[in-house]
Amino acid sequence: MPFSTHSPIPINEKLTVEELITKLRKRVNINLIACAAEDKCCDKYVREAELNRPGLALTGYLDVFSWHRIQIIGNTENDYLKKLSQDKQRKAFDNITKFDIPIIFLTNGNILPQALLENATQRGIPIFTTPYETTRFMHLLKDFLDDQFALQTMVHGAMVDVYGVGILIVGKSGIGKSEVALDLVERGHRLVADDVVMITKKGSVLMASATIMSKHFMEIHGLGIVDVMSMFGIRSVRYQKRLEIVTELSLWDDTLEINRTGLDHEQVSILDNEIPYIKLPITPGKNITVIAEVIAMNHLLKHYGYDAAEAFQEKIKSSIAEKTNGMNPSMKRAIEYFEGDVE
Amino acid sequence: MIRKKVTIKNSSGLHARPSAALVKLSSSFKSDFFIHMYGYRVNGKSILGVMTLAAEQGAEMELEIDGSDEQACLEAIEKLIDQKFGMKDE
Repeated sequence: MPFSTHSPIPINEKLTVEELITKLRKRVNINLIACAAEDKCCDKYVREAELNRPGLALTGYLDVFSWHRIQIIGNTENDYLKKLSQDKQRKAFDNITKFDIPIIFLTNGNILPQALLENATQRGIPIFTTPYETTRFMHLLKDFLDDQFALQTMVHGAMVDVYGVGILIVGKSGIGKSEVALDLVERGHRLVADDVVMITKKGSVLMASATIMSKHFMEIHGLGIVDVMSMFGIRSVRYQKRLEIVTELSLWDDTLEINRTGLDHEQVSILDNEIPYIKLPITPGKNITVIAEVIAMNHLLKHYGYDAAEAFQEKIKSSIAEKTNGMNPSMKRAIEYFEGDVE
Repeated sequence: MIRKKVTIKNSSGLHARPSAALVKLSSSFKSDFFIHMYGYRVNGKSILGVMTLAAEQGAEMELEIDGSDEQACLEAIEKLIDQKFGMKDE
């Protein structure tokens, strides 16, 4: 397997609340207004991408209260608090603020009663309100947090976009990954990264990109470092691409088990995502670049519902069935009738 | 597989030439060679990989070597780092 087990690293292990607020305002364009303890934002940390609605905690059920998560107070919680007497209200709110909550968000532009805001200020828990509707806000926030806490790993290989299919070429040093990538670029495909490929997990998708340092540089053995973007222009590169196929180049070895039919689909696991994996032995005279294009086109065909190996298999099966049923005795010949060279 | 922590000693850090020396040396061994730094694991036989780290003087990295000649490989790499990658002007 091309990837020895290597523990993935998260982009961020923790995020200060201050950073979270600034990024949400700037990047996600969310309107957030501070209600309480804004000055405490720099000391508070968000450590996971999950969110929590503290409804039950407010009622006093604290056995499984995920206080370390971001708390969202929507219309339901807000309404519940408002209907309590002032005394009970304070007590209910204190149920949650006695924990070291990172931050509380109020949605739908709601604002808590002054006494509760003072309680939060006292306990040093920041509260922000947003005009966004609860589900929409939670969706945006979750998406943003998923990105911030995404898992990353670094793999050694060349990542190329071939006909819109993201192919990662891996293999031992010096086997010719960069040369194949360069050849693909020459044929009009786009280089994502060479040598150092960063893989970021985004939900069920793996995104591959280059690092800031190695962006669009390439090492050609015997030549040194070349800059692909300067040489081939903007059309030859792209920042990121979804990883769809992993191809491993290896030297020809008679003991190597090679897929001859294409009926078996091997997969490789990267950050717990299963990616189609193709083992490609190299022999003199083999044009890996063209094969890479064929891999991409075959992948597209399969995606559009046509699997050549399956189709061929079906053809053989029906032919065998016809023969066994004695329906078509002429099938003993490979060609039914040869017309001669008249086209 | 062996793992060992090392510290970069030459004043200008792991720039292009020292990286090239490291890659050249490690490539002469059969063993797989990886460098762990900042939580990343780069292939020590790839010059772009090594240079991506941009390791400065005093930077600590962990070497991971796996293969039939791992001990000899580790010794050679350690010697290279100790000798500041043979950079004479530093």
